[in-house]
Amino acid sequence: MLIAALFLWLVLALLAIVAHRRPGRPHHAAAKLALVQAKPLALRLPLAILAAGFLAPIVPRELIAAWLGGASGLTGILVATGVGAILPGGPMVTFPIVILLFNAGAGTAQTVALLTAWSVLAAHRVLAFELPMMGGRFVLLRLAASLILPVLAGLAALPFAP
Amino acid sequence: MVIRRLGRTGRIGKLAEGARGGEPATAASAGSTGPGRPAPAGPRVFGGGALAFGLLALAAGTGCWLLAGRAAFLQAAADSLLLLARITPLILAAMLVGGYAQTLIPRDKVARWLGGRSGWRGLALAAALGAVTPGGPFASFPLVYVLWRSGADLGTAIAYLTAWSVIGLHRLFIWEIPLLGTDLAILRYVVSLPLPFVAGLLARRIAARFPVPAPREEA
Repeated sequence: MLIAALFLWLVLALLAIVAHRRPGRPHHAAAKLALVQAKPLALRLPLAILAAGFLAPIVPRELIAAWLGGASGLTGILVATGVGAILPGGPMVTFPIVILLFNAGAGTAQTVALLTAWSVLAAHRVLAFELPMMGGRFVLLRLAASLILPVLAGLAALPFAP
Repeated sequence: MVIRRLGRTGRIGKLAEGARGGEPATAASAGSTGPGRPAPAGPRVFGGGALAFGLLALAAGTGCWLLAGRAAFLQAAADSLLLLARITPLILAAMLVGGYAQTLIPRDKVARWLGGRSGWRGLALAAALGAVTPGGPFASFPLVYVLWRSGADLGTAIAYLTAWSVIGLHRLFIWEIPLLGTDLAILRYVVSLPLPFVAGLLARRIAARFPVPAPREEA
């Protein structure tokens, strides 16, 4: 985490230097874009994390371990793919849920499959952006080409799962 | 709101605005919605209001107190606040990086450049560009739309979208490393590296059999 943080600050510094040398020095525009993105998180993310934190002691751990635990293997990966595909909402909703499941005993490979399924199948994103913008045929093609991806990712992670 | 501000970046911003479900006239003139398509719903509906998150937290807190006791409640609250304090600086830094990247990289130029590539080179470039595209769907879809309409190979467009969603550096740094920890985040990232290629190649195969016509030029 520390290395990631340092890397991130380094990239930020480099980009700021590049921007500083551009005509117009678009620091203000960049900060504005960042703020626009941060604004919806300001209140919701703390609440979502708090909700997930409160749910952690009371979720049925045995159930989660049985369906999504490290020992659940390919079946767990398939279940996780299904769960990931129907998780509603953006990262703000999904990541607290994923932390919750992971801490409650979901296996590493299964969590990888779940996150991948949410990323590529993303029901909310399809409905809000992709369908109206790209049309049904494009969505079908992309989904058909992507259905296998969460399973592949989960299986690839399986040997590394503790 | 988000996209309205991005609107000043020109054509793509306008497309995004159309897709966001602003005025139907704008959407039609930008060619982003065909006549038969349903009015697009904004992400606001699916993102849920802050009130809903508040109620959820309240309900979860009450449940925790009643089922697990006061000590568990306080522990959970303290853990959550600690996590939040740890991730906030990272998230802010990552968003600033995204803001700079969006300001410095002209999206329509990227689309035109990528549109001319095909084969493995096209897939690799699309995957690399998708991985460094910051921001939410409002940042990536307009590019794909322009790509597609300008006649780019669909495999390339889908590799780009897949890369943006599974190996996006932006998401890795804003969400996964802070919230899931480095080990899980890096493992997920590494096993996902081949996925944009898989999706791109599969999409080419499928599109060869079931062609997906590009949207008509309306503007």
